[in-house]
Amino acid sequence: MAALASLWQERLYGLEIIRFLETHSSLVLAEGTIYPILNRLKAEGLLTSEWVEAEAGHPRKYYSLTEAGRQRLRQMAEAWTSFSGGLSRLLEPVLEQQEKPQ
Amino acid sequence: MTVETQFDSYLTALRTHLGPLTIAEREEIVREIAAHVRDSAEESGASVETVLARLGPADELAAQYRDGLLIRQASRSISPLVLLRATLRLATKGFTGIVVFFCSVVGYSFGVGFVIVAFAKMFFPTHAGAWVQDGRLVAAGAFVYGYPTQAHEVLGMWIVPLGLILGSLILLFTTWAIRTSLRISQRWQSRL
Repeated sequence: MAALASLWQERLYGLEIIRFLETHSSLVLAEGTIYPILNRLKAEGLLTSEWVEAEAGHPRKYYSLTEAGRQRLRQMAEAWTSFSGGLSRLLEPVLEQQEKPQ
Repeated sequence: MTVETQFDSYLTALRTHLGPLTIAEREEIVREIAAHVRDSAEESGASVETVLARLGPADELAAQYRDGLLIRQASRSISPLVLLRATLRLATKGFTGIVVFFCSVVGYSFGVGFVIVAFAKMFFPTHAGAWVQDGRLVAAGAFVYGYPTQAHEVLGMWIVPLGLILGSLILLFTTWAIRTSLRISQRWQSRL
């Protein structure tokens, strides 16, 4: 889900996705983990990829969301938000209790 | 070993361990990983050696791609061999996987068992059936040495269609259940 979400705005290549997740969500992925996941998401038709020549001297593989990927991400976002909202309400008293003097 | 040969030998190992994939897929993965190593080393100022270490061993990286392929193929397959292989792979990844594998084996065994009894009854009528003694089921199945003599047989030839239908249903259900579990396992992974 996080990998899909990082591509919501624009196409990115693998290393950019890793950095994007680190800066925007403090999710730290092992470098070797993201590529097999991207490969699978592409096989499922949620992502497409293209090789783009870069100034670095070698081409990079950019990923972007397909229409199916956008739909799936929207569904996941809705499910996640309603789940985490419920959990937050459940946890509210726990945090309040902590702040009360014993 | 110099940096360049270390880099090359990593890519060669990756290529070797990606054997089951198509050549096009394999070369694309190798190309992407190579680009990653160059970019990551350049960006962080780390040595190629460090970046390779962060990627993890080539065989483990390749295994992640292969697992993805195996599970993807299996969740569309009906072959018990392919499905069992995928659940066996799942079993190496955690407790739920072990349960799924165990249930798959039990499901297939029962399904096949029912079908075998049905066929045994057709060809060796005295060696297969269900026997009741004192109101309790004492034996059911196909036996090499005949049936328990004190008990009397119930069902008779009806065990043939019954075994075939029940066996097929169990096999169908097992196949469906494994494919569903594999899909769910993929979804779980994609939460990341």
